[in-house]
Amino acid sequence: MRAQLENVLREVEKAIVGKRPVIEKILMALLAEGHVLLDDVPGVGKTTLAVALSRAIGLAFRRVQFTPDVLPSDLTGFTMADRESGDFVYRPGALNGANLILGDEINRASSRTQSALLEAMEERQVTVDGKTYALETPFLVIATENRVGTAGTQPLPYAQMDRFLARLSLGYPDYEAQMAMLRDRQDADPLRDVACVLDREELLALQREARAVTAKDAILDYITRLTLASRAHEAVELGVSPRGALFLDRMAKARAFLEGRDYVTGGDVRAVFQDVCAHRVLLKENVREAAVEQVLEELLKKVENPDRSRLFPGMKK
Amino acid sequence: MKRRWVGYAVWLLLTACLYFFENNAGTRIMLLCSLLVPLVPFLRGMFFAPDGPEPDYVAPSCTVRSLNREEEEEPDGVRPYVPGDPIRRIHWKLSAKKQELLVREYVPLSPLPSQLPTVNSQRPTPNSKLLTPNPTLQTLNSKLQTPNSKLITLLLLLLVFIAILPEANRGAQALCNRLFAASERVNAYVYTSFPVPEDQSVLLASLLLLGILACLLALTVLRRSRLLALGLMAACSLFQVYFGLSFPWWINVPLYAALGLWMMKRPFDGRRALCFLLLVLLVSAAVLAFFPGVDAATESASESVRDRLSGFSRSLLGTAPELAAGETETRRVHTRSLETGDREAAPERTYRLVTEEAEAISMPRWIDWLKMILLLLLTVALVALPFAPFLLLNARRRKAREARKAFASEDPGEAVCAIFTHVIRWLCETGHDAGNRPFADWAERLPAGLPEGYADRFARCAADFEQAAYSLHPLPEESRRRALSLLRETEAALWQRATRKQRFRLKVWVCLCE
Repeated sequence: MRAQLENVLREVEKAIVGKRPVIEKILMALLAEGHVLLDDVPGVGKTTLAVALSRAIGLAFRRVQFTPDVLPSDLTGFTMADRESGDFVYRPGALNGANLILGDEINRASSRTQSALLEAMEERQVTVDGKTYALETPFLVIATENRVGTAGTQPLPYAQMDRFLARLSLGYPDYEAQMAMLRDRQDADPLRDVACVLDREELLALQREARAVTAKDAILDYITRLTLASRAHEAVELGVSPRGALFLDRMAKARAFLEGRDYVTGGDVRAVFQDVCAHRVLLKENVREAAVEQVLEELLKKVENPDRSRLFPGMKK
Repeated sequence: MKRRWVGYAVWLLLTACLYFFENNAGTRIMLLCSLLVPLVPFLRGMFFAPDGPEPDYVAPSCTVRSLNREEEEEPDGVRPYVPGDPIRRIHWKLSAKKQELLVREYVPLSPLPSQLPTVNSQRPTPNSKLLTPNPTLQTLNSKLQTPNSKLITLLLLLLVFIAILPEANRGAQALCNRLFAASERVNAYVYTSFPVPEDQSVLLASLLLLGILACLLALTVLRRSRLLALGLMAACSLFQVYFGLSFPWWINVPLYAALGLWMMKRPFDGRRALCFLLLVLLVSAAVLAFFPGVDAATESASESVRDRLSGFSRSLLGTAPELAAGETETRRVHTRSLETGDREAAPERTYRLVTEEAEAISMPRWIDWLKMILLLLLTVALVALPFAPFLLLNARRRKAREARKAFASEDPGEAVCAIFTHVIRWLCETGHDAGNRPFADWAERLPAGLPEGYADRFARCAADFEQAAYSLHPLPEESRRRALSLLRETEAALWQRATRKQRFRLKVWVCLCE
């Protein structure tokens, strides 16, 4: 792994103990220029993670706590009349000038606000009163969704879920991790120890490099077969979209890059498949919700990986 | 699903009844057809499979459908409002247009559609989504739909055996005769125990049957449902059973085939229909060829074939026929006295002698030719069989040699790929297949007891392999040496542990050219 990325991971791990796989995946999403949906219960350290990440990379961090009365203009900014000069002045919103946005409880926002955020995520720009303002690069949104207490919430529509690169879950720390966490926080806030080890320019360079990772046709074929199989699965109403396939490719590249390779392997695709695709698959009505992971696992088992197709060449299934 | 099975069961029961009462070629064909239909996976859809444009699955009664009463009824136009009509039936939109109250009219859906699978396919059900079969049913279905080709092959083999082996043939005939005797006994019992008064007219019964038929036909016109086909089939069968007589096969078989076609799913699938007709034809041909039954003409034909075959085998074995000249064999012919006056006469069975001249008249020669051709084919197959393994082995050997050729390829990357897949193949053949996962992950699932450090070397080579397969960089020559040494190590370690069967497979499939 790159020393730079290793440093970032180490710094973030100072604040979040024992969650290395998730931190790696968020870093992958950052490298793949995609946004992350954290699906989790309160109090497992989503904000801490985002703050630590922004400090370690030297990104401008902002947090938006969504409630039903957060308005689109709170995010995108608005123009107001300046009494003295008599002009209209643009007041930037929360998204302007931030690299890392933590959208907490995005499902509590009204659907208008949600769509404003999602548009900004997709286009990386905001338009207010006909004027377009570019957002900072890199621009990463980590949105969180609570699984409990969903009363009065506005769950993200399927089409909007599709725009997130990956859905991740931090989960509770295990015994050791929690003990370590309690011990660390006895005297000081560990967030203060997080040093900035990577700057914005370096991160942009890394993103460029991650994009240049090789994915041979065998890998693209594997991705295509996986997504096609997900659409054909009998328990699935809506399979992985073409955008999902693109994201899968990008995430696999980022993983390969994080692992220190400049080529994607079948293992990379396999490792990120669940995270990238689980929220894109809609099961049929009478199949249990929890079964998405099983279905994807089944697909991974069923669809021949590119290594194995070399074992018996000529035997096309 | 269940209801389809019920429909099928009724069909089977009817044909079995018919067969039991009147054992002739027609009933045999019908019984065989109804037994064969669910065995052919393609035809099974006729009765059991819910494949089609929309789920052809009828929800378990009173779960979904009865949530909404209107669902059980079919809209059928409007009429003016009459005091007392339920208000929710008023067609508000039309009423507003026409300036008078109009009420939707409903015709209750007959219970027929739910009895048999097809009916909904013509009318799109509004809540078809709710009606999709639940997963357990789906899996059950897919299980049923998996082609059990083994069973079919077995069945076909059995048929061929019965056709070819004279003993088996005779045994089958004997079985048929037993069944026939049993049915005769039932006939006799009915005849003696339920005597019909002399002056009884058959008019009333005929009228009743005609009425039922007319009703069924009328229903056909009103509602096209496959249940009707089944009903008609039942009526025909019961008619034949009730009067203790059956139509000759050339009436019955087309009749039942047509009814079977009628019962098929709509929209009509031409290929399936053709397949069904072909099956009926095949079964009829088989039955007529090999079990022509007790129908006098066909039976004598079959007898002649048997005689000829036995004569053929006797002439082969060098033993002369034991029967006197002019006579072939005694055979049972069933006659029933139909004289109305003779009430006491029990059904009787007589035996008669058939002369060779009579025999020759009804002797179809083509059956012999058919058998000869079958035997010829079988002989050819048997003669060719011993050579098959050698052909296979040669092909394998050539393939293995080609695979080995890549080991010395110019490009080390290609060589590493070939060598490493060879290692994996060794692992597969010795029962350590780690399944459909990247080869790099196999390092964690290597069998126990391999040499020290093997897993590390394996992982190193797996990384080489991945680089060779998926990157654009060339590999160093050293990686080829590394892979070759891994292959040698694998071969040595796994060969020792392999069982006899695995060694055989390894020899055949992996390393033939060594």
